[in-house]
Amino acid sequence: MAAVKQTVEHVASLEKYKHGFVTDIEQDFAPKGLNADIVRFISAKKNEPQWMLDWRLDAFERWLAMDEPDWAKVSFPRIDYQDSHYYAAPKEKVGINSLDEVDPDILETYKKLGIPLREQEVLAGVIGSPRYAVDAVFDSVSVVTTFKKELAQVGVIFCSMSEAIREHPELVKQYLGSVVPVSDNYFACLNAAVFSDGSFVYVPPGVRCPMELSTYFRINAENSGQFERTLIIADRQAYVSYLEGCTAPMRDENQLHAAVVELVTMDDAEIKYSTVQNWYPGDPETGKGGIYNFVTKRADCRGDRSKVSWTQVETGSSITWKYPSCILRGEGSSGEFYSIAITNGRQQADTGTKMIHLGANTRSRIISKGISAGKSSNTYRGLVSAHPKAKGARNFTQCDSLLIGKHCAAHTVPYIEARNGHSKFEHEATTTRLSEDQLFYAMQRGLSQEEAVQLLVNGFVKEVLQELPMEFAVEAQKLVAISLEGSVG
Amino acid sequence: MLSVSNLHATVGETEILKGLSIDVPAGEVHAIMGPNGAGKSTLSYVLTGRPGYEVTSGTVTLDGEDLLPMAPNERAAKGLFLSFQYPLEIPGVPALTFIRTALNAQLKARGEPEIAAPAFLRLARAKAAELKIDFEMLKRALNVGFSGGEKKRMEIFQMAMLSPRFLILDETDSGLDIDALRIVSDGVNALRSPERAMLVITHYQRLLDYIKPDRVHVLAGGRIVASGGPELALELERDGYDKYARAA
Amino acid sequence: MSVAAALKARNASALPSRRDEDWRWTDLRGLIRVLPEPSAPFNGIVVKGAFDRLADDHRVLVNGGVTRIEVAADRKAAVALRLIARGAGTHANQVIVSLAAGARLRLLETYESDGGSLAHTALTIALAEGAALERVVLAADHEDAVTISQAQVTLAPTADYGQTLLSSGARRQRLETRVAHPGGRASLRLDGVYVLAGKRHTDHTSVVTHQGLDGTTAQLTKGVVRDQARAVFQGKIIVSEGADHTDARMGHHALILSDRAEVDAKPELEIYADDVACAHGNTVGALDEDALFYACQRGIPEDEARAMLTEAFIGQVVDRIWFEDARKVARAWAAERLRA
Repeated sequence: MAAVKQTVEHVASLEKYKHGFVTDIEQDFAPKGLNADIVRFISAKKNEPQWMLDWRLDAFERWLAMDEPDWAKVSFPRIDYQDSHYYAAPKEKVGINSLDEVDPDILETYKKLGIPLREQEVLAGVIGSPRYAVDAVFDSVSVVTTFKKELAQVGVIFCSMSEAIREHPELVKQYLGSVVPVSDNYFACLNAAVFSDGSFVYVPPGVRCPMELSTYFRINAENSGQFERTLIIADRQAYVSYLEGCTAPMRDENQLHAAVVELVTMDDAEIKYSTVQNWYPGDPETGKGGIYNFVTKRADCRGDRSKVSWTQVETGSSITWKYPSCILRGEGSSGEFYSIAITNGRQQADTGTKMIHLGANTRSRIISKGISAGKSSNTYRGLVSAHPKAKGARNFTQCDSLLIGKHCAAHTVPYIEARNGHSKFEHEATTTRLSEDQLFYAMQRGLSQEEAVQLLVNGFVKEVLQELPMEFAVEAQKLVAISLEGSVG
Repeated sequence: MLSVSNLHATVGETEILKGLSIDVPAGEVHAIMGPNGAGKSTLSYVLTGRPGYEVTSGTVTLDGEDLLPMAPNERAAKGLFLSFQYPLEIPGVPALTFIRTALNAQLKARGEPEIAAPAFLRLARAKAAELKIDFEMLKRALNVGFSGGEKKRMEIFQMAMLSPRFLILDETDSGLDIDALRIVSDGVNALRSPERAMLVITHYQRLLDYIKPDRVHVLAGGRIVASGGPELALELERDGYDKYARAA
Repeated sequence: MSVAAALKARNASALPSRRDEDWRWTDLRGLIRVLPEPSAPFNGIVVKGAFDRLADDHRVLVNGGVTRIEVAADRKAAVALRLIARGAGTHANQVIVSLAAGARLRLLETYESDGGSLAHTALTIALAEGAALERVVLAADHEDAVTISQAQVTLAPTADYGQTLLSSGARRQRLETRVAHPGGRASLRLDGVYVLAGKRHTDHTSVVTHQGLDGTTAQLTKGVVRDQARAVFQGKIIVSEGADHTDARMGHHALILSDRAEVDAKPELEIYADDVACAHGNTVGALDEDALFYACQRGIPEDEARAMLTEAFIGQVVDRIWFEDARKVARAWAAERLRA
């Protein structure tokens, strides 16, 4: 008992958010507030074609008629949607051609965050080390995308969404909003109206993307939200692994991040999508500030035998509302969801997945590890459903929650809807705390309390960590450890 | 007794048995040996009629009677018994209840009178003692929470209770320590008789030290590629399956 | 508005609908546009009930009524409680059960209907310290009936409460149990069995709130659905702040034996204390084909093997009934429904 108590106290006293600095640069802002003119402003800033503007305006109209959802186990003061900037960009021009044109302060920011934007920096790494291409999104714009040329040689399109709208309108028109319809939900609809930037990936038939793709999202500006939109299409027999990372400065006001991610896989294609989310979580004592992370992520496994795997490590944000999902439409398609969600201080997370089995012999697997500490609240919410036609559907779900301290909460809310007699769903969930005995055992062998806690928690989340691409797994493990220092969880 | 001729069988879309032929006369014990993936377990499932194992051509007869159109329980009533490589756990059904239900179903199918409870229990006690099975264990749900060795012993117990005419032992030695192996083999050998025959499927020669075969067949690539006397098993133990795997 | 209040106000539009989270899979408002007329008093003869022989105290409510069941300190009682609907009207029952310290009660409850009735039963059940209650509910409704039973159970420390619901569904059938669990070595068993065919629907909903140290809850529900039947299981265990050393386990396992049957489940944990051991498991699927083949290989015909395996599946819940005679009734009921 004493050991846990001390650890909890020790841990609460540590400084933990390492990415809370602000980059001081000149920025372009849209005026505060939200109306049709702001939507036109954003579209004009991005030199968008008329069809894109029309799409946004239609979304805005619909959004006005919708209500904010209230079913998640999170509570926060009403958001004043008029009290935010819906566009913020560094005062450089959009569409930079070389890194030399990028504001050195921004480059410095990414360097501090450990994100390699110079291809030679990546290339100069250890021989044989995996390389990855980066799209860097700073507030509302993509500042640079690396390795574009090399990827283009094999036919892979990797660029910012703004560029895709200009350069690949046919693909964008065909797929944008086809997985997450404009009025799918309140936040997705808001995103459709005001989305700023994000990444676009198209992998042509038969191509295995030769490197990891990643996007690094940074919110920097004050009083602004980030509304990125990402669209990834893996055509027949294509494969791509994609990773996103997110950080923001420490600020006293809440900032809204309402992203939409759409994935499409055709026959035999596979997308592996990993997220390491470390938005500023707000002040651990007062709960002041922090990002509202209201995100809609969904994959449409259209093709037979196609596969999508979501892996997420969620350590940041003051509120997380996020359910990366798979629509398993193609016969024999499969979906996976691996999640680590850590809440501490006053954080609230309501996250999970939906696996919608529509096609025959579809499979899904859900492994969720939630850790709550401090005065936080951590909810797993998931849906597994099988349509009458989804004969032979299989799901396995394992949801484990770990509680650290007396004032946190952990909830498990799974929905299971089975509508045919040839599917098999299995769900297991446990809620426990860090074992005194294990802690003592580890400490008796010489580990400090902190090390012992880290060791045990790493064991608890291991199944998920190992799903991350190697180079990010190490980083994620560190992040878990840092969050542990500050949360023992 | 059992006659298999030019048997082809598929699982899903894959053909596993590709023209397998074998004859096991009454009174004999034949061993089938082969590398992993040769189709050994498939053969045992095809003979017993497991759903999902489709015979595309060929014949299987027991004493001249065509087995292939029969449901698994009808084949069982004809005296065909498979000792499973991985015996199933049946939660909620005590072992004795299960075996008695099976025995009576078989007797009924053969038009014989059902066995009364006292006679059944006497028989069960006697057979359990021979196989060194704790009688209390038979009151528990069949195989639930049993160790690998206990499950195999329970297979042999069921075999003794049902007294089948044709026995298929699928990797019966796997997971058994030397004492358990001896008990199991004694149980099997006790059933050897001029009216019965057996097919012993195994990867290793070890079991054949205890259950002596009259003939040994090598199964590779979905068909029998070699047959011989007991010495063939020793040769396989020494030289491995490489020669036959290549031939297949 | 609650079901009871909506019926009292005779306002169909106030019935819960699928927009209410608790009723998402049992939509009454969408089903009932107009409330049936209040049931007429019934003066006919009532045939024997399933549990009559097992009790010395018989309470029969036909088309609505109120009954109180009180067991004095350290006394024992066995009550057969029959909630009967005759005809197609609307009515409400109220049942108040209280057990003084150390009292013991076998409450054997049946729901019986013969047509398109709409019946609501509100039960309040209170157990004082050291009291023990076993409640066995046999909900044998008519396929056109709508039956809603809502029990509010309050336990004192060291009380012992066991419950088994047996239901074969109806047009809509909801058996709801809410338990205020004080911890303090009070123990709770909440079980259920459903066997559904045709277009029948049943809904087993429970909410257990652990409010103090050292409480246990063991919950097991199993069901079999066929044809176009639909089963709903909603189980929620809440462990309040400070309710440490709670041990709560919930299992729900269902077999779907046809292409068009449906099972919806929501096993929920809401935990505000860290020193707890809570778990739930949920499985939905067909009968295990491997086990079926195994039984057939031993000579058991397929239909018989199926019946044996499904009965064994359900039997694991029935076996947890403490009162042996009630267990026999339950077993016979399950066998009859499964072989129907």
